[in-house]
Amino acid sequence: MVLLGLGMVLIFVATIAQVEIGIRESQLRYFRSWIAWLEVGPGTLRVSLPLPGGLLLASALLVNLLAAHLTRFKLQWKKVGIFLIHAGVLILLLGELFTALLGWEAQIRLDEGETLNYSTHPWEVELVIIDSSAPGENSVTAIPQSRLRAGAVFPLDGFKVRIERFLPNSEIVPAATAGPEFEAPSATEGSGVAFAVREVPEETAPDRRNLCSAFVKIIPEHGSAPGRWLLSNAISGMQEFKIGDALLTMAIRQRRFYHPFSITLLDFSHDRYLGTEIPKNFSSRIRIVNADRGEDRETLIYMNHPLRYGGLTFYQSGFDNDDTTSIIQVVRNPVWTLPYIACAMVALGLLWVFSQHIVKAIGRRRAEHAS
Amino acid sequence: MRLRLHMTLGWLLPLLCLGVLVITGLRATRPSADLDLKSFGSLPVVANGRVQPLDALARNGLLVIQGRQRIEGEESPASPIAWLAELAFRPDLANQRRIFRINHDEVLGQLGLTQDRSKFVSYGELQDSLPTIEEEADRIAHREVQLWSPYEKALMQLARSVKLYGQLKHALALPGASQLEAEMILFLASIDQALAESEKRNRGEEHNPEVIANSTSRMRVLLEWAPKTHVFTTPSGITGDVSEWRRLADSVIDALDAEDLHPSTMAYARMGDAYRKSGSEGVRDFKEAVSGYRSWLSDQRPDAFTKGKAEALFNKLAPFYASMALYLVAFLLACFSWIWPVGQFRQAAFRIMLLGFLLHSAGLLARMALEGRPPVTNLYSSAVFIGWGAILLSVVVELMYRNAVGTVVAAIVGFATLLVAHHLSLSGDTLEMMRAVLDSNFWLATHVVVITLGYSATFLAGAVAIVYLLRRLVGGVPKKAAQSLRGMVYGIICFATLASFVGTVLGGIWADQSWGRFWGWDPKENGALLIVLWNAIILHARWGGIVRERGMMVMAVFGNIVTSWSWFGTNMLGIGLHSYGFTNAAFTWLSAFVASQLIIMGLGFVRIPGQAMTRSADPSNSGA
Repeated sequence: MVLLGLGMVLIFVATIAQVEIGIRESQLRYFRSWIAWLEVGPGTLRVSLPLPGGLLLASALLVNLLAAHLTRFKLQWKKVGIFLIHAGVLILLLGELFTALLGWEAQIRLDEGETLNYSTHPWEVELVIIDSSAPGENSVTAIPQSRLRAGAVFPLDGFKVRIERFLPNSEIVPAATAGPEFEAPSATEGSGVAFAVREVPEETAPDRRNLCSAFVKIIPEHGSAPGRWLLSNAISGMQEFKIGDALLTMAIRQRRFYHPFSITLLDFSHDRYLGTEIPKNFSSRIRIVNADRGEDRETLIYMNHPLRYGGLTFYQSGFDNDDTTSIIQVVRNPVWTLPYIACAMVALGLLWVFSQHIVKAIGRRRAEHAS
Repeated sequence: MRLRLHMTLGWLLPLLCLGVLVITGLRATRPSADLDLKSFGSLPVVANGRVQPLDALARNGLLVIQGRQRIEGEESPASPIAWLAELAFRPDLANQRRIFRINHDEVLGQLGLTQDRSKFVSYGELQDSLPTIEEEADRIAHREVQLWSPYEKALMQLARSVKLYGQLKHALALPGASQLEAEMILFLASIDQALAESEKRNRGEEHNPEVIANSTSRMRVLLEWAPKTHVFTTPSGITGDVSEWRRLADSVIDALDAEDLHPSTMAYARMGDAYRKSGSEGVRDFKEAVSGYRSWLSDQRPDAFTKGKAEALFNKLAPFYASMALYLVAFLLACFSWIWPVGQFRQAAFRIMLLGFLLHSAGLLARMALEGRPPVTNLYSSAVFIGWGAILLSVVVELMYRNAVGTVVAAIVGFATLLVAHHLSLSGDTLEMMRAVLDSNFWLATHVVVITLGYSATFLAGAVAIVYLLRRLVGGVPKKAAQSLRGMVYGIICFATLASFVGTVLGGIWADQSWGRFWGWDPKENGALLIVLWNAIILHARWGGIVRERGMMVMAVFGNIVTSWSWFGTNMLGIGLHSYGFTNAAFTWLSAFVASQLIIMGLGFVRIPGQAMTRSADPSNSGA
């Protein structure tokens, strides 16, 4: 009871919070946490109130359900309905937990005609350093965003990468057009030299992503390093640097997930109803090439009809560039069947219990009439 | 004698209502002696991406522009379609009608007007300010919608109205052209001449440059006319598909290749010419042009023709408004039957409510047939359907308990939801096309219908609980009545739990099917989950003996608040996949509703001397 009530409060608060901090952030802060801190009060007089977070509530609910069934209910035919409902709720909760642990989401952003064999994380970036000095192979080092912070040093083969500053979200403009709110350009090497940067609050809208920037130094094993690079996912392309004779490249880019197959966008179409701007359908005709399985085929992804392939689900998520770029969401959720099972169980259980009630009520009324 | 009167009332009153309905229905569809605007109103066109009659175009246009369908002022058009005909064929008159509603003093001030007479101004009065309006609208359109001030919202509304007004004005005729039919024939002829002349010129022969210039300028007029409207009048092509319809101006240009003007194009030109003629000759010509085109349509485009006729008839009969009136009568009679239990007022109330429900169902079915969709496709139809579902449930309840409670709550919920629907309909076309994401009849028919039934049931339980709490204050609830009310609320909450759970889960499955995730903590999803949780809490509290009769009633009223939050509140946040648009004018109403429910809940805690006994005397027996 109390747990369900707290659950309601949590959901309500989190829904309201979505207006300010966005769906993704509120999910992390309220549902996928043990304790959710609710900030109330005007301006600087903010007080943080602790609320039990989604994880805490769900676990408590689990324990409660199990305990209740172990101690109070005995397995009888009469109680099968109640048992089914609660088992279903249990599976639903576990399913959501496993989704949180095992699932991930990414995007593929394809121009018409483009082919990619990876998807990118919607908001996380990574710092990659690619060494192509050995003929015929690339040695790629990727540092995830969680480890990028000011002062961090990453020793690599023959040199170290040092993060001078890290800005989770920033605005980058050509130095020539920068206003007074921007910092003076301080990169001395690479293509970032001509840009001015300023830090801005992180994005909350689900359709906008942060532009992360970092100032990094490359420190060779012997000797000093005066050079300072500006890396950002707002700057396209790799930036070069030299260690000895070897030429390496580096960049900050959206975190990548490589797939054992490649996808080509053949055609994207966006139909509208005649004489209006109301979208009628979005669809992407794509080609999947999987060398391992010898596959090479075309298929269509459109609204309400995702492609399920290789344990992943690809669905039409958006478009850009005057209807020539398609954005496809890639979702991995190995436990997607659990909710189906859970729902069937709960629905059956509810039906069972309520029909028991109805039969009983009718019997009682008959008895009343008879007497 | 007196007894017999009471007995017959049970049938007499419903029959009386039926009689009134039939008479009003017949009057609404009777042909008039003047211009045959009723047939004109049933002519199909394509606007908003769908085939609709001119009548619907006129009604929705007026709703957007002035927030109501009736036009005030002396000698103003008597119906929306009469206004549209005037706007299309006599724009000089239409421009003087004060129909533009201006919602903000600053907007009025900007136009150099004061609010001394009314909020309504005419197009003529606006004409000088049009560049200012356009400039401001352009500036505001670049700002985020959430940040618009009340002034900016009012100005954008005005800009939208002006644009729509212009589109309707250019839909059926070229404003400024005097003889429409002659003009078109002349145009085609002039093009032919011009082609001949330019061929001469190309051959280097003597030619008449004036003819070429003349036809070029006529061509330019047509090319400029086409984009000024969003109405597609001409069913060209042969398949009758919506995408093949053409604007009037385009259909004239098409005629250059086809040699002949399309019958539809000719018909509209003739209607316009006839409209401008005065007297019986005009009436006769207008009728001839309309009926000629109608017979062409029924022969060549039977689908569009029938759809136009059906929707125009539906709009004229307005079944939902008749239902509202019947629910009101039923409500009063049912309440009366409690005060004066003799006679057949209860039966009469129930039958009148059934009559309203029949009309309500007919309206719902008609909408489904017109749209070719399951019953719930937008916020408006959800309101209509919530009322319908609640009444269906209360009919079952009334048949089981026969104590007029079912009738009273059905009437309350039915009237209230149709009132909400009426206010939602003021925002324009209620049969709009579905956005791509929602374009799936299967999921609309399952997820949306089931979850809406869950809303219905939760509201119904709340309404019964309100009846209980109010009757408790006014004279107390007799033990037997209390017992049946308790049974009703409990049963309805059970159904609500089932429907809202299954509906929510079906939504999750839809999401998994189309977006690859079962649950995304979207506000609407959270709202639905709140309803499920709240109903589950009520049931657990009841089973666990935490609340008794009165407590359950108070909790059921809170269910109204939870449901209204999920229904409207979440849409107002303007985020997530389900935020299919809504204005925040409803915010005030939502707050008022929540406040009223809180007050009623508070009333549940008022102690009434002498009633404590009845309450503690009943053991909780409705539980498992």
